[in-house]
Amino acid sequence: MATPSAPTTERTASADTPTPLSRVIAYLRPMGTPLGSVLFAFVVGAIVVVATRGNALLAYESLACGGFGIFCQNGENTALQLSNTLVFTTPLILTGLAVAVAFRAGLFNIGAEGQLVMGAIAAAVVGIKLGTWPALILLPSVLIAGTLAGAAYGGLAGVLKAVTGAHEVVTTIMLNYVALWASRYLIIGGPLQAPGAFNASPPVAAGAQLPRLVPLNNNLLFGLPQSVFTAYTGIFVSLFGAAIYFFIMRRTALGYEITAVGQSQRAARYAGISVRRTIVVTMLISGAFAGLAGAVVLSGLSHSLVDTYFQDTTGFDAIAVSLLGQNTAIGVVLAAILFGALHAGGQVMEADAQISHNLVFVLEALVLFSLAANFLRTFKFRLPAFGRSPTQPAELEAQDVVVGAADEPG
Amino acid sequence: MTTPTPSPASPASADTASLAVDMRSIVKAWPGVVANDHVNFEVRRGEIHALVGENGAGKTTLMNILYGLIRRDAGDIFVNGKLAHIQGPRDAIALGIGMVHQHFMLIPVLTVGENIVLGREPTTAGDIYDAARVRQEIGELSRRYGLTLNPDDKMGDLPVGLQQRAEIVKVLYRGAEILIMDEPTGVLTPQETTELFHVLRGLRAGGKTIIFISHKLKEVLDISDRITVMRRGKVVGHLITATTTEQEIARLMVGRDVLLRVDKAPANPGPVALAVEGLTAASDSNVPALRGVSFEVRQGEILGIAGVEGNGQSELIEVLAGTRKASSGRVLLGGKEITNLSARAIRSRGISHIPEDRRGAGLVLNYSVADNLVLGRQRSARFAWNGFVLMLNAILAWAKRLIAEFDIRTPTPETRARALSGGNQQKIIVAREMASEPLVLLASQPTRGVDIGAIEFIHRRIVAQRDHGVAVLLVSAELDEIRSLSDRIAVMYEGRIVSFEAAETPEERLGLLMTGGGRADAAASKVAG
Repeated sequence: MATPSAPTTERTASADTPTPLSRVIAYLRPMGTPLGSVLFAFVVGAIVVVATRGNALLAYESLACGGFGIFCQNGENTALQLSNTLVFTTPLILTGLAVAVAFRAGLFNIGAEGQLVMGAIAAAVVGIKLGTWPALILLPSVLIAGTLAGAAYGGLAGVLKAVTGAHEVVTTIMLNYVALWASRYLIIGGPLQAPGAFNASPPVAAGAQLPRLVPLNNNLLFGLPQSVFTAYTGIFVSLFGAAIYFFIMRRTALGYEITAVGQSQRAARYAGISVRRTIVVTMLISGAFAGLAGAVVLSGLSHSLVDTYFQDTTGFDAIAVSLLGQNTAIGVVLAAILFGALHAGGQVMEADAQISHNLVFVLEALVLFSLAANFLRTFKFRLPAFGRSPTQPAELEAQDVVVGAADEPG
Repeated sequence: MTTPTPSPASPASADTASLAVDMRSIVKAWPGVVANDHVNFEVRRGEIHALVGENGAGKTTLMNILYGLIRRDAGDIFVNGKLAHIQGPRDAIALGIGMVHQHFMLIPVLTVGENIVLGREPTTAGDIYDAARVRQEIGELSRRYGLTLNPDDKMGDLPVGLQQRAEIVKVLYRGAEILIMDEPTGVLTPQETTELFHVLRGLRAGGKTIIFISHKLKEVLDISDRITVMRRGKVVGHLITATTTEQEIARLMVGRDVLLRVDKAPANPGPVALAVEGLTAASDSNVPALRGVSFEVRQGEILGIAGVEGNGQSELIEVLAGTRKASSGRVLLGGKEITNLSARAIRSRGISHIPEDRRGAGLVLNYSVADNLVLGRQRSARFAWNGFVLMLNAILAWAKRLIAEFDIRTPTPETRARALSGGNQQKIIVAREMASEPLVLLASQPTRGVDIGAIEFIHRRIVAQRDHGVAVLLVSAELDEIRSLSDRIAVMYEGRIVSFEAAETPEERLGLLMTGGGRADAAASKVAG
């Protein structure tokens, strides 16, 4: 077969000779949709602000101030704002990874919140009941307990899906309620209620707590007492989690199989991959990340099991994080930082610009909306060739050649 | 008159009036590829005109432009001599153009009549569906063109051939004078194809114009009056059917001489590699699909399974590959029982499988070519350290080797499989399954939807596997493929093997056996297994 006969060769020739510019474009291309959706959210968000007689510029300035400590109007402390953002970002990374790994397998884990709560409960139990253990053993035990509890809880949905075919969206939503009410039961009249407290457990032992980034005392740092900087070393646990995620997805046969199942269950089955087993394993991993998030927050921030989970949105923000991060490790980290900054900034915005912090949820919803509706794609195809119809019939394989080839970075 | 040269854009003349469709200098470019490069396409009124070319040659694009599904970049379309402004299918339908798609656009839960009138249902006063009028109108159409159909049958209950007939009536009901048939025989049995051709001839006699898209050369020669051949977005020939040959069309399509027959030495069969005894299994809808299948395949021979699709071949291959459970019977590999083992276990024991559904079951389309080349072996010691951590360099080296060895035309090993042509996608699967050095190769429709050049290549590879001592079980809906590749032929009908035949068995006899005929003398002509 020396004679070139397939049409593919000639057609791809032009796309196969990358110029420096096309390389850069190819590299940035996967970021186009997420960045575009964030831009879209901010534009529409500005319209919402203006329509409700607010000052959009001031709103966004104060958001940036609250999130990153820049453009501050009222002398806010940059270091404090960054610390607050880190506090929000830390669990968002882990829950974002939890949702992302499920997405990779074609599963929609809406139960990250429930798995997070289960992780927090397990971490609290270990941190309280085994409080006499030395910190060197106790702290890892707390985190591992949270991870395992989350894994078991996520795995339950996975097993249900694999065995009975129960849809994970339904089961994980329901399991969220079980976890939330279980946490409330445990601390209001239940076995974990602290003596004399209305709705909280006793704090975990000091050895079960993730250290803060700066020690807890009233020495001045950046002009403020150190005690106000609540950022804690959980962020390193989160980044470690992202590294684990990257390794699993990119460098292991397991990650290969998870993605294969997500892309085509049929092809996976024909290749001898057990789809059921992969679904269960994926949900175990997914729950593990979310459970670890719960343990990290409990161990590093709240220190006791408190009745705040009904208002907590971390497990749901995680869906936006993983979608915006396109289910990649680095993308999830970046998206978690963005949403962490937005949540931290919302409080400053409310104070400085007199705009409800709920605007942050509007922005988040708009990002989700534009990602889910996927309408930015239309612009992507229109821009390079003006007036050309965006219609692309799926059957035609020939034109896919170039489109697909250009999608490959490098 | 065989003129394999593009005709110049025909000037407006008296001739123009007799043209039902006259597409002039049509250009359609996708980013980076010209799907239609100044294509001229003329169809005379009242003829059956075949439009042939390999996958990706641009024939579907051209027809989608005519039907208004795609907007052209340049060029004019004349319908019945008048300049046509086609912005969408609505305009095309108004001009009397109808399209019967490869994949039917039917609603299975509605009746035949309801499907046909869908979108323009006749109503009585008070906006009530007028079933009586539907029956009468459809009856009239059916009679006129010899398209027998019962308007009250539920669409989902009908065989594929009748569903297609309903599609044709639907198009006629909308007043089509020009019918575009996109690969209409791909889903039909030989008998249904014969009936379809009868119908098409009837339509032609009734004054309709038919554009017949196909890559099956025999059928094109059988049904068409004239032929337009496309290659790589251009028209490369206008032929008159009566004076051309299969060889000539193939040469135009591919751009070089093509070996339509397979060169192979006589088989040298060794001991039995795969033995199947009394196998039964149910289909997805839980009806018996295999009703006691027994055969043996020896090392170094190709056993071809001939049969009309849907007679249990797919289920048989799935049971052998481990993706479907047998309800009884035994499968022996080299004398050892492997019945109902998992797909992974069967694979690891040396059975390779080229599945019939390339895009759905054979490939993860969004995976790179390299990743697809290790699919199923991602945990083998060769590609994964401790069966867990992937060795990316080993995978890449392996991919480069197979890409060269199997002539997979891909820009890079990292290119997504989705981006390749059908032939090259199939070569990925063929390379992967053959390179694992199997004892038995299950090849199911190995060249379906693949261009002629790739077919030739894949056929030679299958024969090479046989000569290398592999036992090959070949399933194909193409009798030509079965006859040219197989050393022995087993004919399957309604979940049973009704006869074993020699490779030289005439097509007519196989056709008869495939449809349940000729079984009385089947035993007499049985070739020893």
